[in-house]
Amino acid sequence: MTLTMFTLNAFYGLALAMNMFIIASGLNLIFGVLRVINFAHGMFYMFGAYITFTVAKTWGAPFFVGVLAAAAALGLIAFVVERLLLRHLYDKEHLMQLLFTFALVLLMSDAAKMIWGTDQYSVGYPPGMGGAVNLGFVMLPQYQLFLCVVGPLIAVAMWFVVDRTRWGRVVRAATQDREMLAALGVNVPMVYAAVFTIGSALAGVGGALAAPRIALVPGMDATIINECFIIVIIGGLGNMWGSFLGALAFGFVVQFGTVLAPNWQDVLPYLLMLAVLIVRPWGLLGRPEAGH
Amino acid sequence: MKYSAMLVAAGVLSAGTAFAQQGPIKIGVLYPLTGGGAVYGVPAMAGHQLAIEELNAKGGILGRKIESIERDDKLNPAAASSTMKELITKDKVDIVLGGLASSVGLAMSEVSKQEKVVYISTIPKSIQITTDKLHKYVFRTSANTDQEGDTMAMLAGKNKLSKICHLELDYAYGNDLEVGILKALPKYAPDAKVVLTLKPKLGATDFNPFIPQVMAAGCDGVLSGLWGPHFVSWVKQAAPLGFFSKIKWISGGEIGSHEIAGELKAEYPDNVISNTYELWYHGNDPSHKEFQAKLAKKLNTQETPQWAVLGYIGVMYAAAAMEKAKSTDPDKVAEALEGLSIGTPVGKLTIDAKTHQANIGQFWGPMVKKPDRAYRMMEPAEYIQPK
Amino acid sequence: MPSYRQLIASAIVVLLLALLPLAGSRYAIDLTTEVLIYALFALSLNVLIGFTGNISFGHAAYFAIGGYACAILLTTYGWPLALALPAAVVLAGLVAAVVGYFCVRLTQIYFAMLTLAFAMLVWGVAFKWKEVTGGDDGFTGIKMPAMISHHIGYFYFTLITVAAGIAALWVICHSAFGLTLVAIRENSVRAGFIGVDTRHMRWAAFTVAGTFGGLAGALFGMYHRGMYIENAFWTESANVLIMVLLGGIYSFIGPIIGAAVLHLLQTFTNQYTPYWPTVLGLILLVIVMVLPDGLIGLARRVRGRGGRP
Repeated sequence: MTLTMFTLNAFYGLALAMNMFIIASGLNLIFGVLRVINFAHGMFYMFGAYITFTVAKTWGAPFFVGVLAAAAALGLIAFVVERLLLRHLYDKEHLMQLLFTFALVLLMSDAAKMIWGTDQYSVGYPPGMGGAVNLGFVMLPQYQLFLCVVGPLIAVAMWFVVDRTRWGRVVRAATQDREMLAALGVNVPMVYAAVFTIGSALAGVGGALAAPRIALVPGMDATIINECFIIVIIGGLGNMWGSFLGALAFGFVVQFGTVLAPNWQDVLPYLLMLAVLIVRPWGLLGRPEAGH
Repeated sequence: MKYSAMLVAAGVLSAGTAFAQQGPIKIGVLYPLTGGGAVYGVPAMAGHQLAIEELNAKGGILGRKIESIERDDKLNPAAASSTMKELITKDKVDIVLGGLASSVGLAMSEVSKQEKVVYISTIPKSIQITTDKLHKYVFRTSANTDQEGDTMAMLAGKNKLSKICHLELDYAYGNDLEVGILKALPKYAPDAKVVLTLKPKLGATDFNPFIPQVMAAGCDGVLSGLWGPHFVSWVKQAAPLGFFSKIKWISGGEIGSHEIAGELKAEYPDNVISNTYELWYHGNDPSHKEFQAKLAKKLNTQETPQWAVLGYIGVMYAAAAMEKAKSTDPDKVAEALEGLSIGTPVGKLTIDAKTHQANIGQFWGPMVKKPDRAYRMMEPAEYIQPK
Repeated sequence: MPSYRQLIASAIVVLLLALLPLAGSRYAIDLTTEVLIYALFALSLNVLIGFTGNISFGHAAYFAIGGYACAILLTTYGWPLALALPAAVVLAGLVAAVVGYFCVRLTQIYFAMLTLAFAMLVWGVAFKWKEVTGGDDGFTGIKMPAMISHHIGYFYFTLITVAAGIAALWVICHSAFGLTLVAIRENSVRAGFIGVDTRHMRWAAFTVAGTFGGLAGALFGMYHRGMYIENAFWTESANVLIMVLLGGIYSFIGPIIGAAVLHLLQTFTNQYTPYWPTVLGLILLVIVMVLPDGLIGLARRVRGRGGRP
């Protein structure tokens, strides 16, 4: 591999990592606080992309209005789902939540078919981001440079909210002991609703930001959900910087792995997870769960 | 769909009466209607329904009405196998059509062999269906990978490619197409060399690991089997780097269809030569135009999808074979299909008696800008039919 | 030991099923065969979930190993069924033992994700080892012994095998071993205190689950005369997990009911509408919202007997 190719692949790996981090960060938040395995997260991602298509392409609004619309719409859907249905399941058999999110996947996949049909769609790059920056020895696509900026921005914003604000402390406490938190007078149900809403809105943003680079088709939700779980798990459950690190590991391993061993591309993410979990059973930055 | 559900209900209610014996002729059909395959399965089903409606308006087959029993194959071979058995044992269909994925086509062919019911594979391209796994009851009315590969090699020669990059998706269709191309390449382009072969995975959305490698390989042309969403994602990610200004893109996988040109519009790149089963703007013969008009009316759009014609041709073949056999008996229908010629919207087709493969052609040509249209069109579109 | 009532009830169910070919249509026989196979598959998974509290996201791996191994031994190597089937089941069990060795060191979601990772490797092997498995074209044209190549013969073969499998699982789950597993599920720390080697027990449960999953897979492959890489994919693991959860994890027969209900729902909804996911999704939603213990919880409530076994 020449230096040029190495640089380019390193950059692409980073761009992939940032794109994945944006989607996975929401899953991590929900997973960490609510302990809900949200199978529907990939569906939220797909809806984010489709909504951006409708707003930006069909209605002709600017691309970033589409991104905001995706975030708002997914947040709203998630809020309604949480308040009406999901909140009744926290106290019941833990695994029933999994069944619930599976039902959600079925319903949303059909809803998408009814709303958007089965054609494939594409969304144009936002103005000024459809080209490449020429650094002389290497060309970098503008839009992917943009993703490399947005990813860390979201990470820093989340870190600030979770680690530096009162609300963040409440959320962190909710991951530890929600009975205690309720006894202290915190409205725990609203904390849960807020976390589910924000996490899902992030999935919407992830889908919206991915939209200009890919074809939008039914079934685009299928693999993304596994890849997000892998990132969250290798980083360490509920740990935001862990997810960031997990996304970086994912991005570089998939990018360089695919170049060097294309025959293994399908299972590369799983090999990565296997390696991490065998060496560090609780993820890169995770801690063993209480009681074990 | 509701209509057929009602018919099924009616069939259940009337079972056991004399009506059952001279009841409708039942055609079972499976296409993917949910998930990733719905992009193609849903339009193919529309073409299927159009053919059934047309035949019924003319009095059906052998004077009997046709009942179409339509199911989702879920793009899953085992599910398709179960559903096809159900169509045969519960609904007592006389013939089964459809399939999209190669594995689903092979699974359906297996059921057809066991149950001795004729199966016409209308979309699956895997060469195995009509070679290693060929049996008495399976027929194919879509193109196969050897035909597609042969034409692509011919186009490589015609465009005087000397250094070729080969891009295929890493699954049955891609691997079979690669074999088809490599078989034919020495014949048409003896001096061409394949300098790089890459195989992204099926369903890939991120082509960043592959794009720089192709650009660095110094090839003057790409032979590609990246279809549908794969091609769109490739274009989105490669075009910003000026990829298509330097490299000719000769592609199978029907990316010359209007579905893709109409969606990408101005983003559709230069230098693409590809294929499509059907072109709504082509309409050079009356039956083609007529089909077009009916489909456009049914789907309520002028710009009809290409996949419908495959579903349509499958039904027309089933009907013609039953008429010729004067029976719905699978053995007689299978015999009737061997060597059978029918007229279709894309011209006269013949099923080879030995290989059970129809000589269906495809439109091939460069995708060019037109001043009066917002999207690219294939021009000149050449209909290439296997000998 | 099972009570007389349970024994008699089970015998009656098996007998009634055995009478099916006399009355039922070919379709009913085929559908019952499918349900029986899924019932065994779901039940095997519940050895792990219901009795240790660990969910696996990768149970399809052992199903696929059993299915592919049996298919390949019968067809490629021409082994007789009496050798091919046991060999396939043992192979599935062996792989489960190896994978389980690594997985049981983890718990909860980490355990689940590690099972997923291993299962996707199995899928990768089935996909890439084309010369042996047929790759993603699938392995079709399985050679069947004449005795069971007819659908009625195969139905009886499946009924006997599944009944024997379920009986074996019943004995295992109600032995001292099974009771110890329940103790681990309820409180693994305390189980550890009273001298139970929890990791070894969970490892054994993992192996048992994989073994019987392999048996179900072998039956499945022969029934379809083909195995496909989709059968090893994570969606298949999710499907069987849904069956178990739907039926209820705290009862022995829960997964059997869950398998029957989900498979029949999937089959029948597809018969009536291409929007079957909506119908299925709504039904699941109602079940989840109304029946927190799965379907078996409903049966218990109807009979006024709450609580867990």
